[in-house]
Amino acid sequence: MLGFEAIIAHNGFAMAALGISIVFSGLAVLSFAISRLYKALVLWDNRHETVKRIRNTLTSSRVRGPRIIVERSDEDQEETVRLYHMLADTLEKPFALPAFLELAVNRGLCHPYSTVNDLIKQGYIQPDGKGFYCWKC
Amino acid sequence: MQDLLMQFLSNTGFALADYRHFIMIGIGMLFIYLGIAKHYEPLLLVPIGFGILLGNIPVFKGLGLGIYEDNSVLHYLYFGVTSGIYPPLIFMGIGAMTDFSTMLARPMLMLLGAAAQMGIFLTFLGALALGFAPNEAASIGIIGGADGPTAIFLTAKLAPKLIGPIAVAAYSYMALVPVIQPPIMKLLTTRKERLIKMEEPRIVSKREKIIFPIVGFLLCCFLAPAALPLLGMLFFGNLLKECVVCERLALTARNSVIDTVTILLGATVGASTQADVFLTPQSVGIFILGAVSFGVATASGLIFAKIMNLFLRTKINPLLGAAGVSAVPDSARVVQVVGQAEDPTNFLLMHAMAPNISGVIGSAIGAGVLWSFMMN
Amino acid sequence: MPVDVNVLKTISIFEDICEANLHKLSSIICPLRVCEEEMLTRRGIPATNLYIVTSGNFMAFFKGGQSVTLHNKGDVIGWSSIITPFRYKGSSVALTDGEVLCIPSRKLLRLVRENSELATKLIQKINTVIQNRLPFVNGQPVVENETVRHAA
Repeated sequence: MLGFEAIIAHNGFAMAALGISIVFSGLAVLSFAISRLYKALVLWDNRHETVKRIRNTLTSSRVRGPRIIVERSDEDQEETVRLYHMLADTLEKPFALPAFLELAVNRGLCHPYSTVNDLIKQGYIQPDGKGFYCWKC
Repeated sequence: MQDLLMQFLSNTGFALADYRHFIMIGIGMLFIYLGIAKHYEPLLLVPIGFGILLGNIPVFKGLGLGIYEDNSVLHYLYFGVTSGIYPPLIFMGIGAMTDFSTMLARPMLMLLGAAAQMGIFLTFLGALALGFAPNEAASIGIIGGADGPTAIFLTAKLAPKLIGPIAVAAYSYMALVPVIQPPIMKLLTTRKERLIKMEEPRIVSKREKIIFPIVGFLLCCFLAPAALPLLGMLFFGNLLKECVVCERLALTARNSVIDTVTILLGATVGASTQADVFLTPQSVGIFILGAVSFGVATASGLIFAKIMNLFLRTKINPLLGAAGVSAVPDSARVVQVVGQAEDPTNFLLMHAMAPNISGVIGSAIGAGVLWSFMMN
Repeated sequence: MPVDVNVLKTISIFEDICEANLHKLSSIICPLRVCEEEMLTRRGIPATNLYIVTSGNFMAFFKGGQSVTLHNKGDVIGWSSIITPFRYKGSSVALTDGEVLCIPSRKLLRLVRENSELATKLIQKINTVIQNRLPFVNGQPVVENETVRHAA
């Protein structure tokens, strides 16, 4: 027996159709489960942070520097440069870049690492050749 | 003395050989050449090639030397193939060296791996049409999954006599993925489609990577329990890798264990390809169907990706469909090369790993499904 | 997953290396995506990996507060992984999202021991990096024009 006869005799079409469906369904279900897993974990993470934030607001007594909330955008670039210049002025010249970054993080500035990188590339922060940096040396 | 000499000479390979042994030895040498000189899957072709030499030295039957003779060393080593021990161990090593994060970052791409498994079932139909028995047809069909261990595992269960030609066909075509796939990819996609750039995937957290093997294993094996040995070991190996606290075990799984098993599997599968089983019209049919299955699997993945694009707002590059063929990581690399030929700045490799890995899972599920059909 | 050989060819540190050795290297090198603020190395911990920047910007900083920023493809981080006592001399952090090539130092050293071409070409280039960064390590006095400043 050959050809379609053989396939029909052995129930081939049904097995192939069912097999493809099972494989497809299995991977589709797995794919769906993975996409939900991520969202479930995000939800779980956010729940902790919300509780922590409420607790911190009620019990925190740590003295902090003034929190500056600035959203980075092209229009506000001058403002960003001015803020970081202000921070640099509070440090000894020349300053250690890690210390400068720590200061920016403590002040609550957004994306301090990439901002400092941009300032270096634009020449606002310059290396002194000895491992330290200064503002437009 | 003359009698002794004549007796000795009559037991040598030269006296016992016929033309078929030399053909097989030539094939073995060709595999070794392709592995060493051309770097076509050397970790597979060199052991298989030398195994073919091992299995085709003419020996006097009854001395316990050949792989099919009880109490021979090769027979004991071959037990791991016939009993289905080696493939799950290889899958454990694959799980321990695979990073599932690209798949976790974009779960939708798993469907491309699913689509590519159509190659298995369409080849199954083709094998039935050519007159193979259902269990043989299932073993031949699984070549379309492009997964050597899966092909060997299923064939050992359903059609042990065909392990030699099926394994050689599966591994040969896996090595030839860079030759087989690109023409099909270029035929079924337009230049504009090949230029599509994929969005950067999100960062996947460690927790997701740890939870996934457990969830994936439970879901897949509840659906297809016959896939338990392969998928169980795959996800187990991955959990060892991701949980970090078992790094020593993961290191062993992806180095010593997988290397040892690959050596034994390759050599014994090669040795099992003896001329009387291999040089038959059946084997020619298996090789032809194997090539067709790879082509069909590639085409299925590509076409499904194009169908998905009809419904997606952010289009995916349809070349990723070809990576659903689970020859990890070769088919993903082929996607990268073909994509970069159109646009050198288009990095598709990491995106292609998602359907590639889901293809491994899909082919294991497919093997489990076929096994459960044949058991009934 | 191992890195593609074609990616290695675009990196200056691998430019003189022959195809066969690049294939061997590519089998042990893995690309790693990092995001802003992610630490690659920490001073004092066992140095197991060497990193080569392929994209993004990084900062390596040392005991005395001295630091160096790395912006170019081919920059090296974690050279302590191939020098005794195999502990990172500095910490490094990603200033922006990027990608690095991660080379496990044990595998690299094994490869280098078996292959003299790699030993000469690759290690020589990494030595240049080491010499440039050595003055910052251990808070050593940095001497310039008779003025000595202790960085500690």
